[in-house]
Amino acid sequence: MSWISMLTPVQWALFSLIPAGIILLYFLKLRREPVQIPSTFLWARTVEDLHVNSLFQRIRKNLLLFLQLLAILLAAFALLSPGFRGERSNFGRTIYLLDTSASMMADDVDDAENRFEAARKQIRERIDTMSSSDTAMLITFSDRSEVMQSYTGDRAKLRDALNRVQLTNRTTDIYGALKAADGLANPRRSSTMGDTADIQVADAMNADLVIYSDGGFPDVSEFNVGNLAPTYIRIGSDDVENVGIVAFTADRNIETPDEVKAYGTVVNYGKLAQSFTLSLYVNGQWRDSTGVQLDPGEESGISFPLTGQEDAASIEIRLENEDDLPYQDALPLDNVAYAGLRPMRTVSVLLITEGNRPMEVGMSTANAKKMSIVDVQPTSYLDSEEYAARASSGLDDLIVYDRCQPKDMPATNTFFIGALPSNEWEWTSDPGQVLLIDSDRTHPLMRYLELYSLLIFEGRSVKGPEGTQELLASDSGAVLSLAPREGFQDLVLAFEIISTDDEGNLLTNTNWFSERSWPVFLLNVLRHLAGAADESAAGTFRPGETVRLRVASELPEVDIARGSGTPETVMTGSNGIIQFVDTDAPGVYQVTSGEGDEQELVEMFCINLFSSLESNVTPRQNFDLGYEAIQAEGTTERRMEYWRWLLLIVLLVLAGEWWLYNHRIA
Amino acid sequence: MGMSATTEPTELLSPSLLAKLERLELVSRKVFKGRMKGERRSKRKGESVEFADFRNYVPGDDLRLIDWNLYARLDQLFLKLFQEEQDLHIYALIDCSESMNFSDPSKLHVAKQLAAAIGYIGLCRADRVSVQALGSQGRSAPVLRGRGGLWQLLQYVDSIESGDNLSLHDGIKDFSLRNSGTGVVVLISDLMDKDGFDSALRMLIGRRMDVYVMHVLSPEEIDPPLQGDRRLIDSEDGDETEITINAFVLKKYQKTLESFIGSIKSFCSRRSISYLPVRTDQGVEDVMTRYLRERGVVR
Repeated sequence: MSWISMLTPVQWALFSLIPAGIILLYFLKLRREPVQIPSTFLWARTVEDLHVNSLFQRIRKNLLLFLQLLAILLAAFALLSPGFRGERSNFGRTIYLLDTSASMMADDVDDAENRFEAARKQIRERIDTMSSSDTAMLITFSDRSEVMQSYTGDRAKLRDALNRVQLTNRTTDIYGALKAADGLANPRRSSTMGDTADIQVADAMNADLVIYSDGGFPDVSEFNVGNLAPTYIRIGSDDVENVGIVAFTADRNIETPDEVKAYGTVVNYGKLAQSFTLSLYVNGQWRDSTGVQLDPGEESGISFPLTGQEDAASIEIRLENEDDLPYQDALPLDNVAYAGLRPMRTVSVLLITEGNRPMEVGMSTANAKKMSIVDVQPTSYLDSEEYAARASSGLDDLIVYDRCQPKDMPATNTFFIGALPSNEWEWTSDPGQVLLIDSDRTHPLMRYLELYSLLIFEGRSVKGPEGTQELLASDSGAVLSLAPREGFQDLVLAFEIISTDDEGNLLTNTNWFSERSWPVFLLNVLRHLAGAADESAAGTFRPGETVRLRVASELPEVDIARGSGTPETVMTGSNGIIQFVDTDAPGVYQVTSGEGDEQELVEMFCINLFSSLESNVTPRQNFDLGYEAIQAEGTTERRMEYWRWLLLIVLLVLAGEWWLYNHRIA
Repeated sequence: MGMSATTEPTELLSPSLLAKLERLELVSRKVFKGRMKGERRSKRKGESVEFADFRNYVPGDDLRLIDWNLYARLDQLFLKLFQEEQDLHIYALIDCSESMNFSDPSKLHVAKQLAAAIGYIGLCRADRVSVQALGSQGRSAPVLRGRGGLWQLLQYVDSIESGDNLSLHDGIKDFSLRNSGTGVVVLISDLMDKDGFDSALRMLIGRRMDVYVMHVLSPEEIDPPLQGDRRLIDSEDGDETEITINAFVLKKYQKTLESFIGSIKSFCSRRSISYLPVRTDQGVEDVMTRYLRERGVVR
């Protein structure tokens, strides 16, 4: 039997005035209405008769007082809310770990809106039954943990903290929460173990660790429970049906960029076969649907081809039922998935040359202009500080060195014409006429090129460092090679387009620039080496993750909006890096710059759950915590409360008192 | 909800009741002298001389009683016998204590009506009638005989007012001291005397009176319309009784009342006193013409 006072001391003081008042009323006696009657003769005899046994009468008189006092006493007991405590912390300290991850949204609980609310209710009940000497701590965890309330005996604070907790769309990582809980229970040693001079910095404080979760997280192996006594309260039922989209992306066909293929994976995590419709929406407009039937545990890949999709687009697939309404299962969050199609990027190209008209013309075609901004500088620019800054910060997507060589390699992709990038490269033949014999037509850079009619007056073959790819071969060796360099790529053309003779006259070294393949090659370079056609699919992140994006560094700020939502302005950091943290809601986020008509889509990214741990909502029976396997305990035993019965007895006593009052003389 | 004291004067006796009363006679269960014709001579002569009969003279008869006129006519000696009936003394005693002045019509009013009615019956039968209030007001009560006394009787009865908070015992004692004769005594009272009614009645019995007790009770006394926490104030002595009136107490009161009436009844029956409970809402006419006749009090 335990007691939990519902009143504060001040309230108790006020309460104690009630019995005092009752006794006082008995002293003051009842005010009676005077009535004149012919004679009190008979009444006196009546009363006299009732007063025959005065002792009994006195007791009976007081019986009402006793009953009233008894009622008050019982009410006081009821206010002390006596009960047999179902669960009690053995140590007087309890740490509540509340799972706020996406899987806690599952609505497979009977008496609450979802698992999270059910867990919250259970914790609230536990807090209500805390005795005044107990302390507790509340930690929530999703993909990160948060100490909502550190150790306190103040139940109001704990309830406040509990009310503040919000359910998230995030994935689950319990480790951080365990570390937070661990702090007081298992204090770290001041230095190393085994050191005899080592002292423990604080006394270990044993505590109950109550984990309210569905177990949708990986086992934690690197954790020692130590002085914590973990209990796993499994929230959710075994009979839960959920179908989830665990992967979805949309990509352009490299060869025909207006052709888009959207593909995803759907898994049935339930125990029953499910059939549903997967519908594809592009910018909110329905485009395609396909029926899917999945047996329990089965997964299915689905793909939707899209044509004529040249612009940026936000693509969405939804699980729908036969009535085209959202499909209903335990976790609706994973029934929708988003993908973004990036716009073609505008790349920044720095061309350093002493004059290369074919190059300049080739890079200013209509198509090239769409995707690039070309800055032409003389070779003397290489010595300027501005160049040094540009090269080291990697502001340009591509630097073309025409017949020149930088002192240090820039932090970006390069294209060397008639020059070698570094010492790792070497000429393998003397200058002379070269005859092209082969080209790697599968490589994106070499696509659509017809090069056999090229005339090259003077050229050499090159050999690059390890991993160099030979794109164009001549009779004397490779004349176009691509080599990786610390995440960048160096393309080396072993013959000059324009040559300078000893007198300084410009001479054409090849007829390539008069060929149709020349602008095509330059477009390939812009697309694939400068990266204009890179990664047409927008990146996807999980809810709550910090999104890091790189945009053109000249943009001081960008606006980020989810769908058609209110944009959030984000300042661009150095090197055009932006960081965005408000990513809890799934959807397609568009990064734009400028305002009004000048608004331009800069970048896109998507937030999707894509977590089989969250989508698999069937709660786990047990999980490992270090060396311990924690078995689910279902629910905590509820405290047996008796105050309702006490109040019932109070009512009965009052009824008896009233009966007595009415049937006997006061 | 209290009981209201009323003093409104209403006609004591209606003409129709008077007509009915003329035919009635009060039955006395005791044989008083003179009531039986010629069987006993009255010791007191010349006071109420009424011719009764003649008889033949026998030697030894009082010569003064010979009817000399008849002797002259018939030449025979006849003795003239007078109805030397001792007329019946009828006393109607009205308790005019404050407790009688309650209810509507008040108990006092009903008592006055009853007393007047009984008095009128007596007057019609040439009885000696004295309707008296107990206490000081009784001293001015007239002693009447014959119908002509009705007006006087009513005048006196009408003048009786409540307020003589004399105990029944003292009232009867006062009456007994003033009236030495025997006869029929009708005591009209509520008998609510804290000193008890028995000593008073015993006094009347001791005087060899033929005693009738008309116990007047109002409906409010029989079935009190009271509820809740009350402080009951006695109208006579101001005595207060605090009481919480509920169904239980009311039941208890009824029992007390029953036992009170029962004790009067048994007291009366043991002493040949006619006990006549009368409710104030019963109606005097009904009481006199039906109820009392049924009880054999009048005929």
